[in-house]
Amino acid sequence: MEILVCVKQVPDDYVEVHLDPASGTPGVSAIEQVNNAFDAYALELAVRFCEANGGSVTVASIGPESSQSSLKNLLAVGASQAFLVSDAALSGADEGATTSYLSQLVEKCQAEHGSPFDLVLCGKESTDEISSQVGAMLAENMGVPFVSSVVEVSPCEGGLMAKQETEAGYSNYQVTTPAVFTIAKPNYDPRYPTIKNKMAARKAKIPTFSAAEAGISTQTNRVTCLGYTEPPKRQAGVRIQEKEAAEAVNKALAMLADAKVL
Amino acid sequence: MNTIVYLETKEGKPLGGSLELLTPAAALGTVTAVVAGVSPEVAQEAAGYGAPVLLLEGELGCDDALVAALEQVIREKHPDLVLFAATQTGKDLAPRLAQRFGSGCVTDATAVEGDETHKVVFTRPAYGGTILEKLALTGEGPMFANVRTGSYSRPQTGAAAPVETMAAAVAEDAVRAKLVETVTEITELVNLEGADVIVAGGRGMVDAEGFKLVEELAQVLGGVVGASRPAIEAGWVSRAHQIGQSGKIVAPTLYIACGISGAMQHISGALGSKYIVAINKDEDASIFDVADVGIVGDVKEILPLMIQEIRKKNG
Repeated sequence: MEILVCVKQVPDDYVEVHLDPASGTPGVSAIEQVNNAFDAYALELAVRFCEANGGSVTVASIGPESSQSSLKNLLAVGASQAFLVSDAALSGADEGATTSYLSQLVEKCQAEHGSPFDLVLCGKESTDEISSQVGAMLAENMGVPFVSSVVEVSPCEGGLMAKQETEAGYSNYQVTTPAVFTIAKPNYDPRYPTIKNKMAARKAKIPTFSAAEAGISTQTNRVTCLGYTEPPKRQAGVRIQEKEAAEAVNKALAMLADAKVL
Repeated sequence: MNTIVYLETKEGKPLGGSLELLTPAAALGTVTAVVAGVSPEVAQEAAGYGAPVLLLEGELGCDDALVAALEQVIREKHPDLVLFAATQTGKDLAPRLAQRFGSGCVTDATAVEGDETHKVVFTRPAYGGTILEKLALTGEGPMFANVRTGSYSRPQTGAAAPVETMAAAVAEDAVRAKLVETVTEITELVNLEGADVIVAGGRGMVDAEGFKLVEELAQVLGGVVGASRPAIEAGWVSRAHQIGQSGKIVAPTLYIACGISGAMQHISGALGSKYIVAINKDEDASIFDVADVGIVGDVKEILPLMIQEIRKKNG
């Protein structure tokens, strides 16, 4: 099985993002860029699938040239190759434009890889915009089966079985290949690289293309951001810090009674 | 403006979160509510909220079939705007249809408002909820959005609007992902969205035994148990209890956060609470920045005493 994993670089989501007062836009420039967590889950799931069933995992990304270092981290944990498209003309793309660029990049990666992909994976959402649209749109654009929030993939007669996490449990879907899945958090964590793999990945060259080299033509955004605000802040209230727990509890309960919320 | 509201159903009934969408839709102009997989009686009941209902009939038990059927409806009705509840299904259907129509799509809208220049302006949270974006949509087809449950209240019921029935013709090749089975693992009813009191626990509860204190406090307060992601991942409680970005967005009168540090991904789901109490032994925990009352202390000492005191009060 030849698998392509689409990866987005996002600001490290352990850091809280606020508006930059000068520009009025999200202040992300000082935050380290990392691989989107759900994309890293997708890679681990793909690598595990290929370890069990054969095949290889390719990574594709669109972003600044500095993305190379985080893509190298993925080569160290099981991806066999990675391709990057870096072009200022593609920045600021909305979900529809990103979908268009990715589907053109899938073609380019197939040409470079020398064989078509059976499965394209995306994280179920990115931790920055959290719009959860691109995977679904990509499947539509490619005209192939789509299953969202997948946590397990296994081979079956005629194609693949995908286990989708749902609010109340799970659903199993059978698809023919090629297919597009989005990946939710499986019940395991991505592996850590061995030192040997890390060293090898550091030396790897990641083919980086301009939009023209990748055969990508630009598309106009359909989503326009008119502006940003921050939600109203809550005021911190009273802090209770007592030596005796019982006293703290009594104080707190008295305050709850006063506020008539008990 | 002409809006289609897709009424998502669960066990043959429209979800509350999708009935709420009739409110912003009606404020924008005319509305058609589209529903599939329910009896004519339930469709009739839905029409009691004032919008005409279009009942789709046919084999519409999976997303692929629903997308095909809704595509057909949209081609016939030419709406300006199509709204979904921001559920797992709504988040799958909206972008797929938007792509088919060359449209823009908004996820997790918390406000959908008419605008002279842009027709509609959408508000949505990004970056885990610390930032709100105002978005406008252009594109060839109608505008698509899914809207967070709790953003609007559902309209009053009154005189019933008409119900129209339409047979959805879904081509055989439209169903690309075959639904083999659906398994329900979580049978408990967890009504976090409607709860008046929520007691939520996080990593600071240490273990499953510790988390039981959260359940006990919820019980004596007549509240519902909530949890942050670490508690879910540790397996102390099912994901039906999760509050935050990847769980439920709640707005109770009283929210008690026990052993929760206050990561934005979690707390953004509870900021609509009227009164927040936080218990945490780390005095620098960011949960204290949003709490009306913050107790600095060990949850394992505080909670048993609190449970005991409230039991006394309850008699």
